[in-house]
Amino acid sequence: MSAQSVAQPVAADMTERGSMAGAPLLLGVEDVRGGYGEVDILNGVSLFLRKGEIVTVAGTNGAGKSTLAKAVLGLLPRVSGRILFEGADLVGLSTEDRVGRGVGYVPQVANVFAALSVVENLQVVVGVKDQRRRIAELFEAFPLLAERRRARAGSLSGGERQQLAFARALMTSPRLIILDEPTAALSPAKVAEAFELIARLPSLNVSVLVVEQRARQCLAVSQRGYILDGGKVAIEGEAAMLLADERAAELYLGRTEKRHS
Amino acid sequence: MFYAQLLVNGLVQGLVIGLAALSITLVFGIARFPNAATGDAMTLGGYSALAAFKATGSMALGGVAAFLATAVVSLLAYLAVFRQLANRSVVSLLVASIGVAFFIRAVLGVTFGHAQQVFMAPLSRPYVLGGVRITPLDLQLAAVAAIALAAVFGLLYFTPIGRQMRAVADNRDLARVSGVRPGRVMVALWLLAGGVAGVGGMMLGVKTIVSPESGWEMLLPAFTAAILGGIGSPGGAVLAGLLLGVAQEASTPFVGFTYKIALAFVIMLAVLLVRPRGLFGRVEGAR
Repeated sequence: MSAQSVAQPVAADMTERGSMAGAPLLLGVEDVRGGYGEVDILNGVSLFLRKGEIVTVAGTNGAGKSTLAKAVLGLLPRVSGRILFEGADLVGLSTEDRVGRGVGYVPQVANVFAALSVVENLQVVVGVKDQRRRIAELFEAFPLLAERRRARAGSLSGGERQQLAFARALMTSPRLIILDEPTAALSPAKVAEAFELIARLPSLNVSVLVVEQRARQCLAVSQRGYILDGGKVAIEGEAAMLLADERAAELYLGRTEKRHS
Repeated sequence: MFYAQLLVNGLVQGLVIGLAALSITLVFGIARFPNAATGDAMTLGGYSALAAFKATGSMALGGVAAFLATAVVSLLAYLAVFRQLANRSVVSLLVASIGVAFFIRAVLGVTFGHAQQVFMAPLSRPYVLGGVRITPLDLQLAAVAAIALAAVFGLLYFTPIGRQMRAVADNRDLARVSGVRPGRVMVALWLLAGGVAGVGGMMLGVKTIVSPESGWEMLLPAFTAAILGGIGSPGGAVLAGLLLGVAQEASTPFVGFTYKIALAFVIMLAVLLVRPRGLFGRVEGAR
């Protein structure tokens, strides 16, 4: 199997979404291996993300997508390799310290504190300089949440929950946010809304690494993408190129979407 | 009138169970294991309160001593034992907590002897309300319990560390990615869980006797209340404790007081069979 690798993006691959080829490196994952128990789930993953980018990490179930997200956050018990964030290695730091350095995370399921109220979900976040003001800013960005500020997070609808999960992760004003399957728990009607929200994030000075099952829709809002297989990067490249790639489509993206625009 | 009297007695008994159940449910919700040392922490609270009461004659200072001594010992148990086993299975932690329980009991036995001791509270005329007798001592005890409960619930629901404790109980990983430091939460948890168990132990000692085994015997009713209230629900634990206390007292005319513990066991079985998540518990998802 000859891996089609585009390690050095060239100017000709520029898409209408604009390449960030000149932007500084924000995240560099270098030969990361690891897992929960004896068996490695990640078998040497390398990828990077530039400032201002949205990058998709796709792949089949069990390819190691979510495990990779957990490795970056320090939630994986066993990790080797380097995870550079703004030039400094995160490996060995606690999860709380990584968050303190500017990495935000929205887990796949259980992404809000169900027993806490909406406003408590935001208040509980540690390390926010002017908490009152930040909450006010986020309520302005997510007016739906402001309306339901006293409601228990467990009583929110799927879409509201999603917004709260994003708002909670944005409390610390992270430079990078990692989204683990942000549309997995959403009704089909809400999926497009979620991708719109993701596309909006770079305008809030947040770069985004999205682990996503719905790879086509996600690549449509991304600059670049990686497709994992067996805990390794199998295919990587500009988003438009991956969407056009016959083999990527055949193997990983699902080939039925002829009407995809 | 007779049943109204049992109700009053049951409420005081229920506060003891409720405080112990609150301690258990806090630990279970946040540290995620059933702490079998809760009963012996109560015994420690009983002895500490007794010592302070003998020295000062003040029931309130007895409560303060019980809270502080038990909180400190509880924190030490966490630092020396439970923190070291934090990533082990629930069974390892349960067994370790039984070990801590025996250790506390042995130390208390060696220090204070195995003879039963009692609070020599001055006799005072009970208030009589429509034929129901309420002693000033019961009111004092209820006040101490109420203050302890108000302090715990105030901390849990109106302070940042309390919010963090509830967040860790709800979703530990999400708390960590929200910057919450689990170590600080654990210190707060063990101080609090120890303190409320200690106050419960003082009340138990005042109402009955203080002996190295007295707290251990409260473990079953306390666990029953924690389960009935819904594991991890602080309010549920206290309410279930009160219910159980009243139920135990109300049953004595029919089954005799020696079977009070058996009643707790029957209630626990019934809850586990019929409504395992208790009155206020959430459905536990597999994580």
